[in-house]
Order: sequence, then C-alpha cells, then structure tokens
Amino acid sequence: MAPNPRNAFAFLPSEAARPDREKRIRALDLARRLPALALSARQAAASAQTGPHGRRRAGLGENFWQFRPFIPGEAAQNVDWRRSARDDRLYVREREWEAAQVLWVWADLSGSMNYYSPLATQSKLDRALILTLALADSAVRAGERAGWLGLTRLSSARNVVDSLAVALIAESRRNSEDFDDLPQAAPLRPREKAALIGDFLVDPADFAACLQRLASQGARGHAVMIYDPAEEAFPFSGQTEFYDEAGDLLRAGRAEDYASIYRARLAAHREALSAAARAQGWTFALHSTARPASEALLNLRLALTVDGAR
Amino acid sequence: MSFFSLSFAAPWALLALAGAPLLYYLLRVTPPPPQRVAFPPLRLILDLKKPDATPARTPLWLLILRMTLAALVVLAMAGPVLTPRGAPATKGGPLLLLVDDGWPAASDWTLRLQAAEARLETASRDGRPAAVLAFSDPPAEGVAPEDAEAAVNRLRALKPKAFLPARAPALAAIENFLKSHPEAQVVWVTDGLDEADGAAFAARFAALAPDAEILRDPRPVVAIAGADNNASALDVHLVRSASGGVASGHVRAYDAKGASLGEAAFDFGQNPTGMALTAKAAFDLPVQLRNEIARLEIAGVRSAGSVHLLDAGSRRRRVGLVGGAAREQPLLSPLHYLRDALSPFADLREAKPGVVDPIGALLDEGVDVLILADVNAAAPALRARLDSFLASGGTILRFAGPRLAAASDDDLFPTRLRRGGRTLGGAMSWEKPKPLAPFDEASPFFGLIPPAEATVSRQVLAEPEEGLPARTWARLADGTPLVTADKRGPGTLILFHVSADANWSSLPLSGLFVDMLKRIVDRAGLVAKAGPSGAETLAFLPPLKSLDGFGALGDPPPSAKSLPAKGVSAPDPDHPAGFYGPAAGPRALNAFNSDMKLAPLDFSGLKLRTAEIAGPRPVDVRPPLLIAAFLLALADSLAMIWLGGRWRRQVEPRHTAAKDAGAKQTGTAVAALALLLLAAAWPPPARAETHSKRDIEAALNTSLAYVVTGDPRVDRISREGLASLSKTLGQRTSFTPGEPQGVDPAHDELAFYPLIYWPVAPDRPQPGPEAARRIEAYMKQGGLVLFDTRDAAMQFEGGPSTPAQSWLRTFLKDVDLPPLEPAPGDHVIYRTFYILEDFAGRSENGPTLIEALPPESAKEARPARAGDGVSPIIIASNDLAAGWAADQFGEPLYPLSPDGARQHEMALRGGVNIVMYTLTGNYKADQVHVHELLERIGR
Repeated sequence: MAPNPRNAFAFLPSEAARPDREKRIRALDLARRLPALALSARQAAASAQTGPHGRRRAGLGENFWQFRPFIPGEAAQNVDWRRSARDDRLYVREREWEAAQVLWVWADLSGSMNYYSPLATQSKLDRALILTLALADSAVRAGERAGWLGLTRLSSARNVVDSLAVALIAESRRNSEDFDDLPQAAPLRPREKAALIGDFLVDPADFAACLQRLASQGARGHAVMIYDPAEEAFPFSGQTEFYDEAGDLLRAGRAEDYASIYRARLAAHREALSAAARAQGWTFALHSTARPASEALLNLRLALTVDGAR
Repeated sequence: MSFFSLSFAAPWALLALAGAPLLYYLLRVTPPPPQRVAFPPLRLILDLKKPDATPARTPLWLLILRMTLAALVVLAMAGPVLTPRGAPATKGGPLLLLVDDGWPAASDWTLRLQAAEARLETASRDGRPAAVLAFSDPPAEGVAPEDAEAAVNRLRALKPKAFLPARAPALAAIENFLKSHPEAQVVWVTDGLDEADGAAFAARFAALAPDAEILRDPRPVVAIAGADNNASALDVHLVRSASGGVASGHVRAYDAKGASLGEAAFDFGQNPTGMALTAKAAFDLPVQLRNEIARLEIAGVRSAGSVHLLDAGSRRRRVGLVGGAAREQPLLSPLHYLRDALSPFADLREAKPGVVDPIGALLDEGVDVLILADVNAAAPALRARLDSFLASGGTILRFAGPRLAAASDDDLFPTRLRRGGRTLGGAMSWEKPKPLAPFDEASPFFGLIPPAEATVSRQVLAEPEEGLPARTWARLADGTPLVTADKRGPGTLILFHVSADANWSSLPLSGLFVDMLKRIVDRAGLVAKAGPSGAETLAFLPPLKSLDGFGALGDPPPSAKSLPAKGVSAPDPDHPAGFYGPAAGPRALNAFNSDMKLAPLDFSGLKLRTAEIAGPRPVDVRPPLLIAAFLLALADSLAMIWLGGRWRRQVEPRHTAAKDAGAKQTGTAVAALALLLLAAAWPPPARAETHSKRDIEAALNTSLAYVVTGDPRVDRISREGLASLSKTLGQRTSFTPGEPQGVDPAHDELAFYPLIYWPVAPDRPQPGPEAARRIEAYMKQGGLVLFDTRDAAMQFEGGPSTPAQSWLRTFLKDVDLPPLEPAPGDHVIYRTFYILEDFAGRSENGPTLIEALPPESAKEARPARAGDGVSPIIIASNDLAAGWAADQFGEPLYPLSPDGARQHEMALRGGVNIVMYTLTGNYKADQVHVHELLERIGR
C-alpha cells in the first residue's frame, strides 16, 4: 500500500519506529526536566521488593528508624539488648522501611502508531516511545525499578533508557517490526504499577480482557490513549480513499458524510476503553500528539503518584 | 443554406454526435481518481458502506465540460463554414473570375486574392467548375472552365504586373465563354481605374454579362507621377485616383544600392478643399545626395506605381572645363577657381594636357555643361561643334578675359559685345570698383544675396540693344550687365562679362560665385550622348532591371524586350517598368508618369452589382472549434489533477509549522518547476573561472610556497622554516611575503609563487607524471623550484646516490632541465643580498646544484657571474628549512651542526639570498659593473 507521495496523510516507514539516539535523548531530556518519580506508597507495606528508597516509616530496611518498647508476645529475638540494657525496659530497634516500587511500562509499537498527519508535530509512535522511556527514567532515578512489560526484567540501573532501547531494537529485529496492539497479558504481582501507552485502536473487549488479566492480582495502572489530531477532527472531504496499515480500504464518495458517524464511534470507543480501565481500578487518559509531551508526562506522574485516585 | 448561413463540408461526421449518450454513460461511471488518505482508525468506520456513496459520480460540471469537448471535436470534424448573410445567390453554371492584375491592384493584392479565393471556394463547395482570366495575359485560345481547385492554384500563381494591362483584348475570350456557358457566374475583381479603355470595356462588359459582380477596393490608388531635380530640392509629384483614404504619408529616397537617403512628407489635404488629387514632396537634400537618388518610394504602399526610378536625367551634370591659357600658377589660373567652385556638385572633366582639340575631346566625352574660360571660339570647325552641342541641349558658359576681349571674329555670345576703338581693349576702368546689384525676379540667381565685397573692376561691355534686359541674369549696381544668357535651341549660352580669375573682379573669390555656378549647372539640361556620327548610339536599350507589380526591383522577366530608344514612354507587357540600357547609364522607364491619367472607372452608369473586396466572406469555423476543444482538454487535465487531491488543501492547518511545511512543499515544487523552465529558457551563464580563496590570496600577496610531501614532520619543518624565512625577509628586505603556502604540485595553481621549496621525502610515493608536467611548465614560465634532498650527511664524493637523490632523479626523469653544476663561488646567488660562501641549513657542507653558467671568458673578470635568466632549479642538500626554522624569539628550533646560533643566521642569510635571486635575477651581476662604468665615464 504505497502512500500517495503528494499526500501528507501517510504512514511512516517502519524504520522510523526505532528508538534511536535522538528519541532517547529527547526522552531523557523530557524526564530530567521533572523531578524523580516516586511512586505512591499507599500499599507499600507488604511489598516484597526492597530498595534504597526510604519511606519515612518503620519497615524493612537497613537504616535505623526508632526504638520502640517491646510488646509482649513478640519474638524475643527482636529485642535490642544493647539499648535494653540501659534501663529496665525492653526495646525493639526498628529500621526505616526502604522499599522500591515496581513500574512496568509499555508502549504500543504497532503499525497504526506509525502515523503522522500534517496537523501533528510528531508521530504517535515517537510520542509514545518518548513518554514511555521518560517515565522509566523518572522512576529509576527516584529509586524505583522499571521494566518493559513483557519484554525486559525490572531494572534500577541509571541507564534504564538505553537498556530498554536495546531490548526494543532486539525485539523488533526478532519479530521483524511486527508488534502487538496490546501487551502480553501475564498477571502482574500485587501492588506493582503499570503504564500503558498506545492508540488502542482495538476491540474494547480485547482491551478489557487484557487489563483484567494484568490486574488480576491487584496491580494498578494507567492507560494513555494517544491520538493524532486528524484522527479526532476527521478533516476530509470529497472523494477519498482511506486505507489503514492492515490494508483495509474504504472508498468514500463524499468523505464529509462520514465525519459525524466517525466522531460518534470514536467517542463510543473511548468510552468503552475508559470503562474497561475503570472496571479494573485503572485510570484512562487521552493525549493528542498536537499537545506537548510534557503535558502527558505530568498527567501520568500525577496518576501514578496519587495511585488511581481518579 | 444561405438562410441558416452555416454549412458543413462533411455532414456525415455529425453522426458521431449520436454516440454522445454512450459517452455520457461512460463518463458518468468513470469518476476521476480519488485522493488517497492514510487513516489508522479506519476500523471504526470500516463497516459503513453507504449505498448512495459507494460509486462516486463524475461531478456534473466535469461531465458538461467533457461532453462539450466531445461535441466540439465532432463539430470540427464536420468542417463547418459560416457563410455571410449577403452572399450572392449563385447560379448553377461555372464561375468566371476576371482579375485586374496591373500595378494599381498590387497594394491590396492579398485582399483581392482572398476575395477571389472565397468565390472560388464557394464554387468548389458547390462542385462548379471555374475559370480565371487575368487581363495582363488574355489567352488567345479563350478560357475554359476547369476544376475549382486548379483555378485556385491558377489564381494564386498570378502576380500584379508593372504596367497597366489593356482590358479590351480579353473581351473576345469573355464573350466566347459566356456563349458556351450562358449560366456562368461572372466576377470581375477590378482595380477600379479607367486605364485608357476602361469605360468602353465596362460598357461592353455590362452588355455581355448583365448580372456580373464587381469586386473593388474603394480606396484610391496613389502613385508618383514624376520627380524634378530643381535647384534647391528634389520635388516629387504624387497623384491619387480619388479623394479619401490616407491623405498624407512619406516618400522615401534610396540610392542605387538600396540605402535610404531621406524621407519627405506629402499631404494631399494641403489645399483648403482637402480634395486635391495631386501632392508634392520635396527632398531638401544637398545636391550631391540628390544626385545619388535612384529610386523613390511611397512608404507603406506596395505597388509599381508608388515607385519612381530616376536615371541620369536627374543626376549631376558633367562639366567640361577649357581654359584659354595654360598658366602654371594655380591662383592666377581661372580654371583653379572654377574647379574649386564646381567640384562639390558637378562631375568635372578636363582635357588631358597636350590634346590638340581639347573642346572636341570634351564634347566627345559627353559633357552637359561646357565652360570656356577666356577661350576664343572663332575657329569654324570648333564653332560647328559648339553649335551642334547647343542644338543637342548643352549649356555653354563663357568667361571673359584678355583673349576673348582681343578676339575680333568671335561672336558666340548671348549678346553683342561692344567692338571698335573704345571697346577694342575690351576693358574699362573705374575709379572705384562696382558692387553687384540685387538679382531681379526673372533671373535664375534670384534669391541669392550679392555680398558687398564682391566688386568688379574690369569687364567686357554689352552692346545696348533690344532684349538685352531680358537676357541679363546679373548686373552691376549701375545697371551694366554682368551675366548675360541666351537660349539657343534646347541649349543655353551664358557669358560672364568678367574673367574667372581674380584679376578683373573679386567675384570668383566670393561664395556668390559658387552659388551662381551651382544654379547654372542645376538648370543645365542633359545632353543626349552623341557618338562620333552624332546620332543615338543605341537604337534599342536591353532591359537591365525590372520592377514587379509590387514595386520591387529585380531581374527582368524573360518576356521583357529591349526598349526602343525613342518612342516608348509607357510600360507595356513587352516593356515592364524598370531600368533599360547599359549599367553605367541606364534609362528609367516608370510604371506611371505624368502623361498617364489616374482616373477612377465610373461604374455608376452600369447596372452591375458591386461589392467591396474587404467585405464579409465565408469563415471556416474549424480552427476556433479545435482551439476551444484544446482549451477544454487542458481545463479537463487541470480538473483531474485538482480532483485527485494533489492541489487540494483539506483543512486549514492549525499549526503554523505544519502550514509552513505544506506551503513550503507546494512552494518548493512550484519554484522548482519555475526554475526548471527558467533554466531551459535561459542560456547557461558563462561559467566563471573558479579560484580558491587561497589562490586569490596568493595572487594578491606574494608568498613563499613549499610542496606538501605528505610526511607530517617534513611538512611541519617546511612550514616553520619558510615562516621564519618570511619573517626575516620582511625585517631585512623590502620584500614582505605573506604566509607560506603548502601546495600540491599535481593540483594547485603554482603560478602565484615565485619560489617553491620542495623537501625531498624519499619514503613518499612519486607524485606522478601530472605533477612533473606542471612543475616543468612552472619552471618554463619563470618559477624557481628549490629541491632539498636533506641528506648532506649521507652524501660523499663518488659514493652511491642516496635514496633522496634516487627519488629526485626518478621524478625529474621526464622534466626538461638545463644542465646543472655545483654553484661556483662567484655565482650571483651568493651575492644577491649577503656575500656568502655556501647555503647552510641543518648542515653546511652539502653541495648546492644550480643551472650551469655559460663558460667564463677569460677577458671579463667579473666579481659575480650570472646567466641571462634565473636558474629554474636549485638542488640543495643541507635541509635548509630546518636551518631557517626558528621559534618566536628567533632561536633555532632544530639542532644545527656544527654550529648553533651562527649557523642559523647564516642559513637565513642563504635563504634571503635565494629569494632575492629569485626575485631580482641577474640584477646584482650587472651592478658589479658599476665601478668599471664610473671609471670609463671619468675618462
């Protein structure tokens, strides 16, 4: 399906999807403009993950937090005998809870994302990649652990952006640039976080099923639907032949006749996606590529830190 | 058909219009290609297949456009012809076309042909035969109808003739034609002039063909009737056949070679009524130029009648000069004054010295004016020649003088001169010289102002007699006749009562004398060339050049016959207008002259239909139809592009960036296209020589150069050494070189550098033949290459050649070099600035090779020796650059052996010497002669 060379509405070549150096730099640039992202810790007490991130409360950790009186019935080994020897009471030494949260990120890298209308400043895929990498970097800098959902393991290394990019390129070589529309739906562990970024032009039922599996053990997350302004405005008129990345064709005698129907269906689709997310306690947001990327990142950070307060 | 006034040549082609519904259907279901748009969320609306929207229809306006286009093409194929309403009802018989093809028809010949062709085409469409008859050449056997196409060809072959054809001879042919084809349609394309027999012919014609049609041009015919070369101007007389039309214009004059000499305006509307049929144009040109005029033309009119040819009759006169006494001193000779006065405007002839009969010789030469200055013309034989000269129209101008006054039996004078005792001397003197009186109106000199300083002190006196005042052209202030003249047959006899020199009067010294002679010569008639027998030499003049009907001069047609010298004054079919006779003195026969009349033919009494040739004619509608179809096709292509979305702006982009990008894209495409067209239309600009900035720099500021060997260490030393040397040169000499430049001899332009330092790096590859060739050229054009083998330590007498030497030998193998020798101690290079022993570098014992000098002659013991030029090559071995190189404080950069600071200084001095040698050549070798020269001067 060769795009019309004179037509600005076209898919980009698949090479444009690579997380190249420029995108990584932009992602880092975006991420470093904001403070490190410390994920919300409301449910952190039972997290199995330890990390260097002090939670300002007693818990598992290495640093001293406080002494508290021994509660009878506790295991005797908890008694801090050095402190208790000072007076008549028994004390227990508590350490500060130092736990790292887990953030799984995922971006839709499928062909439909590789689209760029004259109204946008960036293709959807570029925007999604940059947002995803920036998010991962923010989290790791805050001491959390981040990984690409279904692709990499969790990492807290400072060069997480690079390692994610390497993994993505390797993956794209392996599957010859053919990415799925939705993440591989392995259940996440409880209290892990996920951020899904994509255009989600899929059946809402599939989307709901995917989220359900991800959240089946109680993980929470956030989905951002990225869209091109042209996809919302439908700025076409006259005799038009539409095609998509899958090869579907629609020949419209008068494209303007389709506008209202399309907008209604798009609204319904978004509503269905939003409902599916809410059903799992996830949040769902929209982001246009005509808007600055920092806006989406700020919203994401907010959603992740207040932990699904929407 | 005439009612609808639209006819078709091929009506069956209109059947194609029946295919229009099919076309309509096809067009309707074949819409233009849609724009293709990528749209990822297509899945959302993929199920929408609106039944009414599936086959997009061709837009109605496009449909109409295409149907119109098809209809236009079909109509054009049918060959429609728009016939004017007033077209004559044609009879069924053949068409007889009579064409006036004299020169009056030439000025609007194309219109006439078009009008005639229109009639023929009508006949051709109707399938009627036609015949064409031109009056200039009525066929003796009569005319017969033929195919209309052939008649058109015959018509197109007609050209207007340079004479006025008689019409009467064609009557018989017309009559015969009408007898055999009573139904014939007769059309007479006439020039509307009554040419001799026009009225009679018209009456007969009207009787023969009462319903004939006459096509004519109502505009009058203009012609040049004649030209008079008057005293002050060349007057051209123009006539026209009727008033109206263009009343004014210009006459242009050309010389025999066709160069334009001038332009004169004429205006028929000059007189108050504005209806004049004659006009005059005056060429106020110097007589020399007027004499050159060979052809007059009315600007903008193309006919033989508007051209007037001038022959010798209007040319400058030949004047024969005969003096009575052959005097040697020019200022005392009367002929001197006459010669000077006449030569600007007359063709002077003088008999050769020693000719027995000078007057007879001049008359045989065919002069028009004979001037006899103080000549006794009493001899009977001479008198007979002079009388016959006068009888043939010659002019004799006599001047008085001592001889004339002494001649008693000479009576060839306009008036009787006083004889007898008192007049025997022929002279009378006054106390005071008399000036001239103003000329009276009858005199040809009228209008000239006699200057007060022109006075007469002696003259011959006229006998007072009857008629003397009428014969007097000029008189003195007291009324004494000074110039008398008498008509003798066609000729004129004129007598100046004074001599032509300054003895008797100061008249020959004045400008008046010139003017008077000019007037006399101008009014002098022409003399028919008299042969030895005295008869006309040529009875028949062969045609030389002929005019065609349009007035263009060309070779005579084969039908042209020789012109009888007498008798033919108007052109006819055998004698078309043009030049006749020998090329040296042709006679002009003009298409129109003042003896002919230019009167319009009166059709009013005849009951014939007249029409104007410029009237409406059938119009072929095919070309405009095809053009319209083409334009519609063009519009259709544009519409296809537009509908295809190429040019469409779907939305107003919100982002300026996107808008800019879109606009830029379109703009770029348009600009690229425009550039492409421009580039195609524009001749490519001459490619300027490209010089690098460095070359320009080097050309503006002389600097030293070194060859980049590719060995970074060697190159660095070269650069440092030359920089140090340049600095030293700037400090110590008047030469301030620029930054040293590294050059690549194979590619860089070397001409800017006087000296190129080439350190030999034997481990580098050879630079190749191109470099050798360029180095050789550089040496030949005066450059100096300083090779440095840098291996003085490795060289020793008689030893094997070092690698650097081998390298250099290989490189210079193909270079044309002078013989070299170790620089002798008295070589000028050691004397150019410092007096040196050798060229030191890093070492100081290595040899320096230079072009071998011519062998020293024992005689001249010179302190320095030099060849004629500068050696193109120096081969040093001491690693000079390393010796020159210094840091910013002047300390040597490299260890020198054997002697540090001093050797650095000596190396620099050697460098200065080499540069000075390069720049000044053997100048110092000459300077050393100064003592010798001073000594010689002192002696």
